[in-house]
Amino acid sequence: MTSIGTGYDLTNSVFSPDGRNFQVEYAVKAVENGGTSIGIRCKDGVVLAVEKVISSKLLKPGANKRIATIDRHMGAVSSGLVPDGRHFVSRARDEAASWRKVYKTPITTADMASRMGGYLQAYTLYSSVRPFGITAIVGGWDSELELPVDGQVGNGPSIGSGGKVEGKKYGGPGLYMIEPSGLYWGYYGAATGKGRQTAKAELEKLDLAAGKLSLEDGVKEAARIIYVAHADNKDKEFELEMTWISSLDGPTKGRHEEVPKEILEEAERLAKKALEGDDDEEETKEDDKPAEEDKMEE
Amino acid sequence: MNHLPQAWGRPRDDVYGAYDGSYLQTHGPNQHTQQPIVTGTSVVALKFSDGVVIAADNLASYGSLARFTDVKRLRKFADSSIVGFGGDVSDMQYLDRLLNSLDIEEAYSSSGHTLNAKNLHTYLSKVFYKRRSDFNPLWNQVLVAGLDDDKKPFLASADLLGTTFSAPSLATGFGAHLAQPLLRKVAPDEIAASKLSKEQALAAVKESMKVLFYRDARSLDKYSIAIVTAEGIDLKEDEKLENQSWAFADQIRGYGTQVN
Amino acid sequence: MFRNNYDNDSVTFSPQGRIFQVEYASEAVKQGSVVVGIVSKTHAVLVALKRNAEELSSYQKKIIAIDEHLGLSLAGLASDARVLSNFMKQQSLSSRLTYGRAIPLERLVSSIGDRAQTNTQHYGKRPYGVGLLVAGVDETGPHLFEFQPSGMTQEMVACAIGARSQMARTYLERNLEAFADCGREELVKHGLRALKESLAQDKELTVENCSVGVVGVKGEGMKRIEAFKLYDGAEVRQWVDLVADGTEGAEGTEGMEVDL
Repeated sequence: MTSIGTGYDLTNSVFSPDGRNFQVEYAVKAVENGGTSIGIRCKDGVVLAVEKVISSKLLKPGANKRIATIDRHMGAVSSGLVPDGRHFVSRARDEAASWRKVYKTPITTADMASRMGGYLQAYTLYSSVRPFGITAIVGGWDSELELPVDGQVGNGPSIGSGGKVEGKKYGGPGLYMIEPSGLYWGYYGAATGKGRQTAKAELEKLDLAAGKLSLEDGVKEAARIIYVAHADNKDKEFELEMTWISSLDGPTKGRHEEVPKEILEEAERLAKKALEGDDDEEETKEDDKPAEEDKMEE
Repeated sequence: MNHLPQAWGRPRDDVYGAYDGSYLQTHGPNQHTQQPIVTGTSVVALKFSDGVVIAADNLASYGSLARFTDVKRLRKFADSSIVGFGGDVSDMQYLDRLLNSLDIEEAYSSSGHTLNAKNLHTYLSKVFYKRRSDFNPLWNQVLVAGLDDDKKPFLASADLLGTTFSAPSLATGFGAHLAQPLLRKVAPDEIAASKLSKEQALAAVKESMKVLFYRDARSLDKYSIAIVTAEGIDLKEDEKLENQSWAFADQIRGYGTQVN
Repeated sequence: MFRNNYDNDSVTFSPQGRIFQVEYASEAVKQGSVVVGIVSKTHAVLVALKRNAEELSSYQKKIIAIDEHLGLSLAGLASDARVLSNFMKQQSLSSRLTYGRAIPLERLVSSIGDRAQTNTQHYGKRPYGVGLLVAGVDETGPHLFEFQPSGMTQEMVACAIGARSQMARTYLERNLEAFADCGREELVKHGLRALKESLAQDKELTVENCSVGVVGVKGEGMKRIEAFKLYDGAEVRQWVDLVADGTEGAEGTEGMEVDL
């Protein structure tokens, strides 16, 4: 950040002489101080998990959910400024609803990522707004079967719709991560927030690209990774929140739901056990030292 | 054919004379829906001790033509309520999508809040009333079956005018004339309804559907039937009327080839 | 000139990713007099310290009833609180009109959170300069929420905001375990004791400077609720006298937990 103080970093949408938009970079800083969020794309579903740092003993335990449902089949979690995350979710819900209004069918995860990428990018274009101080992970399950059109009350001829390629697979899990710049990529495993580096290292070990990890195991891995990522920030207590979306014949029937209490507790138990096992290979990172405690971030 | 869209697919002027486009004119009063087009007939419903039975046949008529024979007119809401639609089918589809989006919004938070049948009925009646006040009615009469705030059986009607009504048994359309007396015999008041068993209610509703098929020329022998209780919804969408007897028919003047 | 260049508006991030204007707005909350909120399994209470501008003037309103099932207390800019509370009254009423349902607390609080967030992302707007404690009951029981100028809303078991509120929070943290099983009277007493902790040295609780708001459930769900009631002036004497200095034996928490 050598150009701090030269004046090019005071306004959004302004390029510095070397072609950077500092306000967007500063927004990323807000993300880097937030609690870790991850997503794992398994062969039969998607898991989302977040580390909720407990900022006060007076908070109601188990309340204050941070992973939101966008549509029946889709969820999102974000790291950074929590109110900005709510803004993101509110817009994503509107996009999902308007998609249904136009196309009479649920939005795919890829289309949602594209819409929200565009929305976040628009907040880097004008000096009258600031970029989003969040990086969001969007996970969903696109139906592998032909769904009835919204509002359909019966069937026409039994031939069905045309234009289909024989044997082609449709639908499946989707996982995308959207940054404050509006940039987004599809991921097998995504991580953001304070513990992202540790989490990414753990995700890479899973060989997710092979497409072999089951949702059931994905839940356990997600819990473990959040616990491992938290180890760098041990002095603060946290709550683990997890949601999942399975295939239509899986446990959630293609819906985005909270991971049931028993499964979550079992995953946490295993995570704690795994952590005790490799306590010694811990390494402390000092480079993302948080700024002063900010109540907007968790 | 020419480049004007309003002429596309219409008889040629040079053969059939100028097209009468008077109805396309924009002056004069703005007209919205004046009549239903594709319609569903009766919906019948009856409360019993711990729930509601509701039924409607699977026919959508286009005037007197039996146009669609697999139309499901009982729509689920949030796995806890059933809305039975009589009247215009495209308006039903619009409302179905509206309720679908409402259900999605309700499920955003997993905190255990749900809209029960009573809330749903209030909502639908406001939608109907708003639309009729805009002179753009949704041409339906609906029955909402489910549970109320106290988890007691709930059954109420709302229609295109925004009129609401509640009773231990209800029927829309032709059923209001033919089925209602039969149902009232079984459940004349709330107390009687609260003593009915599920089987009794089911039998009474099935009997009503049969009588309606006998006498309503816009009805079908294929129907949907649902039982709504605190345990959830048991919806069957492919039922067939059983034990029909048309023995009464030749007693009716005008039946078949009989002329007087 | 300015302390730094990044604190002139709410659309500028500092190099650390902070938004100073939002942080300054939360300083405005700390200028307001202290308010306390606590929930138990059956009740949610708000307790507030009122200030008067001068000896002969009236005291500033600190607690506002929103609907039958909820109310809020404020610390900071009272006029900002009025904008937000008017909005909440509208939302609450609209839920009752369209669905016949008391609005779920979480949804209502989120709606003002979303509004406040908008003020932190657009040039020419300023963050709200007020913090709120929202207490109420809905289908899922009693709740207490904290609202901050950043748009952050959190559900709490107990909370205190405003001038010198850290002392009150310490009291609340120390007695956290006891709240869940408290009845309404004990809850109000806890609230007043927490409030007392935050008083300036020359101040004491009087019937003039105290406000209490209570709401609760009488049974399962929303069927029977104890509507939100605001107590002011002589009505708070019953509690103020109970926690007055000298009436409670030894100062400190040990003595306080005896009465129940």
